[in-house]
Amino acid sequence: MSRWGMVIDLNRCTACQGCVSACHEENNVPPSTPDLSAMGRSIRWIDMMPVQEGEYPHATMSVLPMMCQHCEHPPCIKVCPVGATFFSEEEGIVGQIYPRCIGCRYCTTACPYTVRQFNWFEPAVPETYLEGTNPDVSRRYKGVVEKCTLCHHRLQKARDQARAEGRDLLPGEYTPACVEVCPTDAMVFGDLEDRESEVSKKSRSKRAYRLLEDLGTEPKVFYLREGNRQ
Amino acid sequence: MAQVFKPAANTIAKLAVFGGAFFLALAVWSLNEFNRSQYMTRTKVAREQPVPFSHKHHNAELGIDCRYCHTSVETSAFAGIPPTQTCMNCHSQIWKDSPMLEPVRASFASNRSLEWVRVHDLPDFVYFNHSIHIHKGIGCVSCHGRVDQMNLTWQQSPLQMEWCLNCHRNPAAAVRPREEVFNMAWKAENQEELGARLVKAYNIESRDDCSVCHR
Repeated sequence: MSRWGMVIDLNRCTACQGCVSACHEENNVPPSTPDLSAMGRSIRWIDMMPVQEGEYPHATMSVLPMMCQHCEHPPCIKVCPVGATFFSEEEGIVGQIYPRCIGCRYCTTACPYTVRQFNWFEPAVPETYLEGTNPDVSRRYKGVVEKCTLCHHRLQKARDQARAEGRDLLPGEYTPACVEVCPTDAMVFGDLEDRESEVSKKSRSKRAYRLLEDLGTEPKVFYLREGNRQ
Repeated sequence: MAQVFKPAANTIAKLAVFGGAFFLALAVWSLNEFNRSQYMTRTKVAREQPVPFSHKHHNAELGIDCRYCHTSVETSAFAGIPPTQTCMNCHSQIWKDSPMLEPVRASFASNRSLEWVRVHDLPDFVYFNHSIHIHKGIGCVSCHGRVDQMNLTWQQSPLQMEWCLNCHRNPAAAVRPREEVFNMAWKAENQEELGARLVKAYNIESRDDCSVCHR
């Protein structure tokens, strides 16, 4: 059993959006258009969320890379009437199966982090993008909900490889695309169960916090507060 | 005024209530059966191919190993459809003037692949990996049936999710020793005992998470 999770150090994050681009490339997320953005219908599995804290003149602004928090108790799963979204007990990943989704959008409403997105239109994928499609990830279509899956196709691939070689998955073999590209190493990924892993140690740091912790959803994405406290 | 309903109406009403429930059950059952029927799954129907290729002849009679043509089955998700060059390795020497093989020669001359009709066609949202099944001791025959006895290739198994899950939930029923994976005729003497032992030995996890196949 593993608990895949992530720590995002906001001291290091420069909000460069490298993770956003990488995610789009990896997961065949169609690019947005100004029209879609104006309607609030763009699809992003990871996005930059500006957060303002305090009042002028002591206001600070931080930008959080915001994606599915992969809650240990995900509210989205309880409301899905068809079992299209599921919680993997073994991995702790919240997944989504598009062919099962009926597009009722209960989950997008239930999600307190508003990271689930509905395909209101047939995804407008430019012709030039089609050649670069990642064959490991299904393309979505009009009428289904999608969200970050922690690149679980990478997990399956890495694990298949490891098991074919007759060994356990080594730390670092499975990394989501966003973490892999992060130029400042602000994002750290790994198994939270393994107390020796970097991600586990960082998640216990004094700076660590989770979003909307009081809801009891127990997200597995930790943020490290900006500042000097260790 | 005469009565509208005769005494027999009571019986008819009772029959209608019972009959309604019965017909509903029948409709559900027949839809279920229809969905699993041979018509829907297209099992045991030989597909028409550009060349009537016989697995029976090449594998069982001539003894060519599966991996001579399906080269990547042990290392990749896709077992591999051989390039025309593989056919021509032999057919440039034997049966080289056979009219049946004209499309093969045409393909070789024009450098365009033969367009085989896919027999085992999973839906696009299913990600199946051949290599991991081979490594964990699932024989070709477990899914593909006795391909070595097929003159024209057909799909043996329904390939429905229920069928996949049967094995994923109880791998012991299908696992075999690794050295017998490509042996089409192999049968366990005591599958129950052997399966349980091999599941341990090969460290097979009974994986039925959605994300194992759907990504």
